Amino acid sequence: MLAMHPTLLVGPADWDPARMPKDEFLARIAAFWRRCPSAGGAIVYGDRAHHAELAYLTNLTPKLEAALALIPRAGAPQLLLGGGVNMLPAAKPLTWIEDIRPLRNAGKAVAEWAREQPGDAGPVLIGGPSMPYALRQDIGKGLGDAIEDKTSDLSTLMRRKSARELAAIREACATLAAAVAAIGEAQRAGVGATAAVLAGERAANRRGAQDVRTLFSLDGGRSLRPFDTPVERAVDQLQVYVAVRQSGYWAEGFAALTASALAGALQAGRVLHSVLPLVQAGKPCSEVARAVAQAIRPKRPHPVSARIVGNSIGLALEEYPLITAECADKFEPGEVYSLRVGFAEEHTGTAIVSAMISVNEDGNELLWPHAGATT
Amino acid sequence: MTFDERLAAIRGNMAEQKLDLLVAIHDGAHFIETPNPVLVLSGFKSLGPAAVVLRRDGETSLIVTPAWDAERAAECGPTLRVVAADDVVDGLQAALGNGRVRNAAIGIAGLSAAPWAIASRIAQTLSQASAADDAVFDAAASKTVDEIANAREATRIAELGYARLLELARPGMSEDELAVELKWTTRTLGAEDNFLLLCAGPRNPAVAPSNGRKMQPGDTLVVELTPSYRGQLAQICRTVVLGPASADLKDKYDLLVRAMNEGIRAAVPGVPMAAVCRAINTVLEAEGYGEYCHPPHIRRRGHGLGFGSIRPGDVSLDNDTMLAEGMVFMIHPNQHLPETGYLLCGEPVLLTAQGAEPLTRRQAALAAIDL
Repeated sequence: MLAMHPTLLVGPADWDPARMPKDEFLARIAAFWRRCPSAGGAIVYGDRAHHAELAYLTNLTPKLEAALALIPRAGAPQLLLGGGVNMLPAAKPLTWIEDIRPLRNAGKAVAEWAREQPGDAGPVLIGGPSMPYALRQDIGKGLGDAIEDKTSDLSTLMRRKSARELAAIREACATLAAAVAAIGEAQRAGVGATAAVLAGERAANRRGAQDVRTLFSLDGGRSLRPFDTPVERAVDQLQVYVAVRQSGYWAEGFAALTASALAGALQAGRVLHSVLPLVQAGKPCSEVARAVAQAIRPKRPHPVSARIVGNSIGLALEEYPLITAECADKFEPGEVYSLRVGFAEEHTGTAIVSAMISVNEDGNELLWPHAGATT
Repeated sequence: MTFDERLAAIRGNMAEQKLDLLVAIHDGAHFIETPNPVLVLSGFKSLGPAAVVLRRDGETSLIVTPAWDAERAAECGPTLRVVAADDVVDGLQAALGNGRVRNAAIGIAGLSAAPWAIASRIAQTLSQASAADDAVFDAAASKTVDEIANAREATRIAELGYARLLELARPGMSEDELAVELKWTTRTLGAEDNFLLLCAGPRNPAVAPSNGRKMQPGDTLVVELTPSYRGQLAQICRTVVLGPASADLKDKYDLLVRAMNEGIRAAVPGVPMAAVCRAINTVLEAEGYGEYCHPPHIRRRGHGLGFGSIRPGDVSLDNDTMLAEGMVFMIHPNQHLPETGYLLCGEPVLLTAQGAEPLTRRQAALAAIDL
């Protein structure tokens, strides 16, 4: 889900080798080479907004300036980081890569590095679609415009989470639960809408969240909005969306918070639970989308979940595959999904509820239960 | 200047450049250094990629993704035609009549900073378009009355945030913990975002984003607090010592304050921005710090404040932008000195007919936290 993107990422992002040892990153790189045997190296782009692939290979979350990782088939990788040379010390704790240099004349720097690589095979690009147009053109010129983009190959590898990744997501889910509980508590205490949402953000921060993003509704869930300016009035039903990031990994959830049981939220919760068994290794993702559409009829789906009822989640809030009726992918063991069900009905109520769920060999596990209507 | 008057000026620029249509694009990843032509033209701060099509007669279409955010976009004004889209390029093509503008003269703003996945498709679709960033941003060099009011409020929030920092910052607390707490504080005060650079050390090489380092007694803590209120950023740059400040540090900080005040005095309508930078440098050069007035020690002495337009640009020797009333920008001598490391000292100013008016209530002064 999209929420408002902050201008600078504020929150703990240091590399913790106890949580994610260097060997795990090296194993990911090795897996990528196996998937792309003809690649002569990899140029990996990441910025504040789009850096899941970069973080997957280097642990680096660029808080401020964009970065390029230059990863050779053999030998030590380099990180080129935007900003001056005097900014580099601050980036050192964020990554296992030791060779960090300023990112200057990107096209020239990348072309020189590519020339230094042994063999005839050229490097491939990862994260190219997110590169600013001017930078992508610059790099394309430097490499003769022949560079192949392999972002989707790495994305495929990123779908299956390791035990360590799953541990981080579980932690994020616990923080999500704490945030939603704090919002519910504040809402029941009668505080203003934004004060309630900020209470949730604070709860997440206090649990060490790296990032927190929220949306909320002032019209009973019909539309969602980001925090703009304080809203003093209390809202019942307070429909919220909360995304928290912990140790690099995201968890997200919707909750319809109200002082009295809400028929819409209860119904949405029932639909959500009814489709969870379809999240099984080997089953098509599209079945879930179709089952949700079928189960909510004749109600209208909420615009937020009308087309996409869920997605893989991890280092990015929204990873592929997206769960739609047209999705051709199947669930695989080790994946983690965010699923949502929403109605938009004037008479029976509007509500969106969601769940975080992991796929295992013989079923699934609910990582974050939807809150539904709380009393 | 009002929003409508600015829009009229932009349409005037279109007429001058013989443009029938102006297309603006932004990816929704709002950044202090990247101007946002969609925000300038519509007043809308989007969640996702968004575009604006402005016709010379003033008809304005706003293409919004995700589609479910269209209702919020419609709050920006009754005359705005909002197009809800799942894909900004598809939405843009629909707004342009799916190819019916082939013979139109089209200017495009924001393309070079847009992500390749979006920009390459737009460049293909509008292959006849020319870059028209100046048509938008030249007219947005001075802020609107609303933006100025928002900059004042953002400054007020920044100063309150700084007061909170002085209460919180202690040895043993990590930079990240302090930064997160300050971001939350400024949100409770009404800031929807905060470009918050904060770091500490015995001798900082620069100001950088916070990390997990725990602050130590004797550290110099440097902070750029930059809240955004209703999409308008304002910044204060401050330096704090954890413990008593040395005489040398006090002396050097006073030098920076003097340099800043010379910069503020030099900022008057009708002079080039470079003159402000030169005024600051002159004070430092007189004290023997000439070599520190250039990269890698210093890149600029201030900058414009977005999120919409970042004009009048950097306070640097190569910026010949003529200063005009209504401009809002930072003047910060922020300087690395060999004796002290990097120090921060800066105020947001509004340019009036009388000169640069600092928006802060209290000017930067070296603070020492009693341990």
